Parts: sequence; structure tokens; C-alpha cells
Amino acid sequence: MGTVSMTGVSKVFGGPQGVRALDNVDVHLAEGEFMALLGPSGCGKSTLLNMVAGFEGLTEGAISFDGKSVVKPGPDRGVVFQEAALLPWLNVWQNVIFGPQVQGVPRSDYEPRAKEILRVVGLEAFHDALPAQLSGGMRQRVGIARALVMQPRALLMDEPFGALDAQTRLSMQQLLLDVWQTFKTTVLFVTHDIDEAILLADRVCIMTARPGRITRDIPITLPRPRSIDHLLTPDFVQFKAEIMAEMRGAH
Amino acid sequence: MTTLTSAARPRRLTGRLVVPKAGAIVLALILPIALVALWQASGTNGALFGGALPTPDRAWNAWVTWAFGPKGMGLNPYSGTWAESVVFSAIRVAKGFALAIVIGVPLGIAIGWWKLFAMVVDPTIQWLRPVPITAWLPISIAIFGISDFGSVFLITIGAFYPIVINTTHGTRDVEKNWIRAALMMGSSPFTVLRRVVLPAALPSIFTGLRIGLGIAWTAVIVSEMVAVKSGLGYVLWDAYYVGRMDIVIADMVSIGLLGYLSDFLIVRVEHWVLRWRRLQSFNA
Repeated sequence: MGTVSMTGVSKVFGGPQGVRALDNVDVHLAEGEFMALLGPSGCGKSTLLNMVAGFEGLTEGAISFDGKSVVKPGPDRGVVFQEAALLPWLNVWQNVIFGPQVQGVPRSDYEPRAKEILRVVGLEAFHDALPAQLSGGMRQRVGIARALVMQPRALLMDEPFGALDAQTRLSMQQLLLDVWQTFKTTVLFVTHDIDEAILLADRVCIMTARPGRITRDIPITLPRPRSIDHLLTPDFVQFKAEIMAEMRGAH
Repeated sequence: MTTLTSAARPRRLTGRLVVPKAGAIVLALILPIALVALWQASGTNGALFGGALPTPDRAWNAWVTWAFGPKGMGLNPYSGTWAESVVFSAIRVAKGFALAIVIGVPLGIAIGWWKLFAMVVDPTIQWLRPVPITAWLPISIAIFGISDFGSVFLITIGAFYPIVINTTHGTRDVEKNWIRAALMMGSSPFTVLRRVVLPAALPSIFTGLRIGLGIAWTAVIVSEMVAVKSGLGYVLWDAYYVGRMDIVIADMVSIGLLGYLSDFLIVRVEHWVLRWRRLQSFNA
């Protein structure tokens, strides 16, 4: 459960003579795998994620989720957006239970789960706060909680910590490591931050721009459970050196 | 209430002026009081422009009789009848405005949401829109006669356009990722409209409501002047014909106050409904 497979995926924007944003991408995610898509801005990594989410169509190729072709968004693939994209008129609790609520899940079913997840992301005390009253990091915690509460088979995260300051980013990365250790869902994580990709992922796929392509697929063999302390280990630095060399070579 | 010393006058970091509420009321009253005083002082024998315009004190006295005087045997239409005129006009505005909301908001959302629907419906609305409500008067009278609904019909038409246009605009402006998030969480298209698009469009919708309400008051006065025999608009025109300019002035002030009051009500509702938005805005 939670397997993603992209075969020969291409995306052309603006008609047949348009810009080729993605060119013949092949990626497969196994169940419970944490994969980071790493690349410079404009390389099409977010477009790829949007296609897996069902937000955008593809020009060529095929994307399937658990063996079924992706045609539209759905709660089996929880998306965490770059700026959280919470509904600003709903408070934290209402945002978190929005998914189960609109799906008609009985309250007795989702309420304990939502409470537990809110506790895990450390927002119990902000139950009634509106998004505008929260910091960027807290908003993103709500974004993660709202995806997890649907018990998705995969999490699709589109540079979720890109807009946060360095310190908050570290604590969010730690939070995500802990959460993932508990839920073990498949994760497709889009980022342009090398450290973040190595720290979080089992595999880092490096992309280049124009046209967007995957050039390398590097397994990250750092032991789990991980923490932000791993950022300083020699193994980590080794991976970083390898990835930096690859990215430099690609330019 | 806090007393302010000049040394400790609170200014925001942005340098904007901060005035306590009571102070704001005083500031707001300076200009109207000065204008009324000037008007009063310019009159001779209680009138200006050779008797065409009564001074404020005469208009005030006329209003007092109009509002609180004995109804008598209906011999003096300007004694004790103010409240019923106000109620007639206000109910018409309420009906016409409510009808405009009920039609305009769903239609605006539909136009903003479905491209095909917009292509079919929107051009017609844009062609009809330049026709002023006054131009609808003959048709309205011809169809509905001298009746209440003729007036309500004109109010609805007048308030409809700003409501539908602003709702359309608000619907088209909804942030893409809010809709994506709702779809990702399993919302049906109807749920997206009800739980995302409608609340997200509310700030624009309220803008439309406020403009629409202003037009509704214009429409009620115009229609009452011609198409019905009651209400403030009817009294306004009737008083003019019998040379009661003091009543005309009192009537105008009444319309102004009612319009102001109803706008105030909408702003209060808006304030409450859009609490979430105040938290985000610069002027919070």
C-alpha cells in the first residue's frame, strides 16, 4: 500500500510548441519509502508532485498509485503545501478535521485520532486558534496534522519547510522524522535543500532543469531512527559531498 | 477612557494616528455641525434663496411635528406619519435587497466558478447593467401597476448588479491551493463551493452588499416618487408639490440616516463574519 509509480512522465506547458517542463521521468516509490526529490527551482519537481496528487494532468506517460492510474486528488494521498494553505476562517481543530468531516467519517471515529495527532504535532493548546494567529512553523504543523488525520497511504510534501527560518526548519525536520517513525507512510518530499533531503529521506532523486529530468537516484543509508544530530556525522557529510558534486556537474 | 498627554500620545510604529473612539466621534461631528451652523446663519426670516430653502431650525420643527404630532383626522399628512413612512420604505428596501442577495450571490458564484455558465450568462448581465433603474420605471409600472412589488422589483434590480459582480470577482479570486487542499481532503465539488469558495468570496460579497444597499435606497426613493403612494420617496415628492420644503429637508435627512444606519448594520455583520480576515489585515 502506498506505492507510487511514474513511467515515462513528460509535461509540456502551453501547447505542442510549449516548454518541456518534465522529460521522460521514471520513478517508483515502494511502500513506506521516504523519497526526496531534490533540484533547483524550475526543474519541475513541484509539477511532478502535483501530478501525483492529481492536481495537474500529464502530457505523456503514466502515473499510478497502488496500481491505479491517478485521475484526481483524493484523501489517500495527503498533500502538505508549501505555505500550509490552511483555510483561514477555520480554527486549528476545524482545519484538522475538515477531511474526515467532508468525507462523512463518523465523529467518534476521527475525533480521538485528530486529538492524538494534534498532540503529536504539539498543538493541543492551539485548538481554537485561527491560522493568522499562528507562526509559520505552527501553521505547517497544522498542515501536516490535517494530512495525517486522513490516514493517507502516501504523503506528498511540496517544500513544506521552505518558507521557515533555519531554526524552525530544524525543529520541523525533527518533528517530521518522529512522525514518520510512528506512521511509516510513503513520503514524496520535494525540496531544494540538500541537508534536508539527506536527513529525511531513504532515497534522494536529483533533478535538473530544462527539461526536468532525474539524473541520479542515491540511496541514503544513514541508520534510523534519525535526528537532526545526524547533520554532523561523517556519513552525512559524505552523502552531501556526493550530491553536491552531482549537482555541480549537472550545471 | 484613557486620557492622553501630548508626551504619551500613542502612535503606531508605522506612524499612523491612533485616536480613541470618543475622539473619533467628536472629529466626525465637527464638519456637519459647522455646515448646519453656516446654513442657519445665512438664512433671513428662516429661509435662504428667496424662501426656496428653509433654515435647519424650521426643518427640525417640521420633523418634530411630522414624527410626534397628533395624527388628527388625516387632514395634515405631515403630522404623526413619519414612522409609518420610514417603515414602508425600510420594508421595501429589506425585501428588494434580500431578493437581490438570494439571486445575486448564487448567480455570482456560478458565473465565477463555471466558465461555460459565465460565457452564456455574463454578457447578458453586462448588456443589461448600463440600463439605469430609472429607465426600468415605465416597464415596472406597466407590469406591476402602482404596487408595492413594483418598488421592490426596482430595488432588486438596482442592488443585484453590484452583488453579482462582486461575488463573481470574489469567486474567481479564491486561492488555488485552498481548493486543491479541499479536493485532496475528499470534498465533492459542491462541498468545495459551500465550504471553500463561498467563505473565501465573502469579503468581496460584502463589498457588493454595501454598494448594493446604497443603490437600494436610491431605488426605493425613486420608485416611491413615481410608482407607489407611500414611503419617504412619496412624501418627498408630495411635499415638494405642496411647497413644504421643510418636510423635504427633514425627509432627506431621514433617508440619509436610514441609509447610514443600514450600512452600519451590514458593517457590523461583516465585522463579525470576517473575524478571521481582520487578524490578517494591516489595519487590525
